[in-house]
Amino acid sequence: MLFLLILIGVVYFSNPFLNSSNKNLENELAELSLNAGELVNSYSNNEDKSNYLYTGKILEVTGTIKEITFLNDRITIILNSNFETFGVICDINPNQKRKIDQLKEHQKIKVKGICKGFLKDVILLNCTIDLPTNE
Amino acid sequence: MNKLLPLFFLAISFADFNEKQNQFIARQGQISFFSYTNVENIEAKNNQVLSILDIEKQEIAISMLMRAFVFKKDLMYEHFNESYIESDIYPKANFEGKIIDFDVNTKEPQTKIIRGKITIHGITKEIDIKTTIKNNNGNYNLTGEFNLIVNDFEIKIPPILSSNIAKTIAIQFNFKYEPYEE
Repeated sequence: MLFLLILIGVVYFSNPFLNSSNKNLENELAELSLNAGELVNSYSNNEDKSNYLYTGKILEVTGTIKEITFLNDRITIILNSNFETFGVICDINPNQKRKIDQLKEHQKIKVKGICKGFLKDVILLNCTIDLPTNE
Repeated sequence: MNKLLPLFFLAISFADFNEKQNQFIARQGQISFFSYTNVENIEAKNNQVLSILDIEKQEIAISMLMRAFVFKKDLMYEHFNESYIESDIYPKANFEGKIIDFDVNTKEPQTKIIRGKITIHGITKEIDIKTTIKNNNGNYNLTGEFNLIVNDFEIKIPPILSSNIAKTIAIQFNFKYEPYEE
């Protein structure tokens, strides 16, 4: 019995999948794949419907980089949409850090992250970056 | 009249330009909350809080996604969103208020009261929040902390977990604004 308790304890505290902040999405499949423009259009046209379609799901979003910021010690990539002022805010998992040096503004990239919803921008958390292979 | 018309338009566009200069935006505002009890400490942070500051009207608006709060454990995240805040029904928390006696021009840090309304879990409350405002060459930075009482927002916590969650939640905020170009 004691052994079982210890085992549960060990699994609970060591299992990375119980740790929400650093869950690695790299090996998880995206539920939907779309581009940044489509995603923002959908939310600005009908937020309720889009929440139903996208919020809480792992999305793979393709877009061009508007801006990379390091505010508050976080890596954030903002993807362009068809709108001037808003786009997709991607909070990047720290384990993707080495990929950031290879990125520049206007570059086309693919990110995979959990969609959290829409304010002025669509927000994706815990993102991994998929760099395009040289063509 | 024809000579005046371009001047008229110029005046309008100039006024319009001025209007925009009065607005500042923070897309990556930071809000953390803390619940300290003998049983456990719970801490969560949201790094994607949106805020718009209008320095002419001295108004501030804040909006955040409840699901964008990051917790140390998945279970805390689940309880928060599914049982307490009910994020499917109330996905956002909002605040609108006015900064009292805000001196837009001073470069010195100033401590002011923001008087406004906060909406969480569909419940709206009037609140005064103390904030420190710094003006770094037109890039405003607002920081501060305040407390909220869980009971005020009709958040139901099952008796078995009531000792795990504090009655009063401490909240910290930090917004760094940049000029808002629409």
